[in-house]
Amino acid sequence: MSTSHAEHDHGHGSGNGDHVPHVLPFKVYIGTFSTLLFLTVVTVGASYVDLGHMGNLIVALLIATIKASVVALIFMHLKWDHKFHAIIFVSALLFLAVFIGITMSDTQFRGEAEAIEAKNPVDLKDPFKAERAGDVAVPKAAAAPAAAGSAAPAAGSAAPAATPAKH
Amino acid sequence: MSAKAEALGGAEETKLSPQFHVAHHFDKADTQFDAGRMGVWLFLVTEILLFGGLFCAFAIFRSKYFPSFVEAHHHLDRVMGGINTIVLISSSFTMALAVRSAQKNEKKKTTLLLAITLACAAMFLVVKYFEYSHKIHDGLLPGGNFTAADFASGHPGIFFAIYFMMTGIHGVHVVIGMGLILWILLRNQKNEFSSRYYAPVENVGLYWHLVDLVWIYLFPLLYLVG
Repeated sequence: MSTSHAEHDHGHGSGNGDHVPHVLPFKVYIGTFSTLLFLTVVTVGASYVDLGHMGNLIVALLIATIKASVVALIFMHLKWDHKFHAIIFVSALLFLAVFIGITMSDTQFRGEAEAIEAKNPVDLKDPFKAERAGDVAVPKAAAAPAAAGSAAPAAGSAAPAATPAKH
Repeated sequence: MSAKAEALGGAEETKLSPQFHVAHHFDKADTQFDAGRMGVWLFLVTEILLFGGLFCAFAIFRSKYFPSFVEAHHHLDRVMGGINTIVLISSSFTMALAVRSAQKNEKKKTTLLLAITLACAAMFLVVKYFEYSHKIHDGLLPGGNFTAADFASGHPGIFFAIYFMMTGIHGVHVVIGMGLILWILLRNQKNEFSSRYYAPVENVGLYWHLVDLVWIYLFPLLYLVG
């Protein structure tokens, strides 16, 4: 059983061309297993503490990510594996973040643009006509009386500010 | 070196994975092993993106119907979910040890560990069966089959639709994993695996760990946070 004793660190490309496995010590597996069990208890315990709307979610995801990293690094051998396998795995997570991030940047803000655009009407046929009037800020003094009134005219103050450029 | 190995090998090679050979398009066994494993990693990436779509749906609807999600998630049994988490982590542990014993030519131990992994997977599905039948009894099925009426919030059905879809697809992965582990177990019985060749054990192990990894996120999100 010559190869069964081959518990050396490299585990690759030695001897007769056979694959030589990289065998991890048993205590590594036991340690990983107990870490995972411990973190499971922690995450259940943390869910009984009220940390607010986002707090519990963040704590749960943080603990889950620690657990997932332990599984990937040790049980899935990524720590000792080729770096390229880790790159494949991490790039998938990046694409997942892009996927969820961009989707939510749409769904979370749907309907908000319409209200802002209604307050700031743009002539779609001539969106750059204000450029001819000079790209200057509307004086604060002109906007102030409108704001000093009620909240409703203040909300509409952007529209009158845009109208002088038309004439 | 190779002459020495052959001299040593002769009798040895008939014992260690006698059916194994390096395919002619690979220069050595290591290359073949790594190529297979990289293929599995690429497959696992597609799995992440498959579940990613469901996690995305969860994230969107949770933020839209937060009160519904909080109320609905109290209908999940976190004791059963917690037991299943421990069962699945244990099965991941025994799977990892099965790969290790295959690396060390401990055939009987590999068989035993794979059998324990299978038993854990079966137990996971049994617990899941009890959870599902309880929810079906309460009329919490997705879509038009949602008949429960005693909710204060407006959209509990969406939570249960996502719950059934995520745990259902995860459950299908557990069933497929059981088939793969059984396949590995039978091949191990035929003396196919050894320190020379254990790639299928390692690769099924990678798949099984990913199934565990998905559950590591599903459990807190569905059962604990809601």
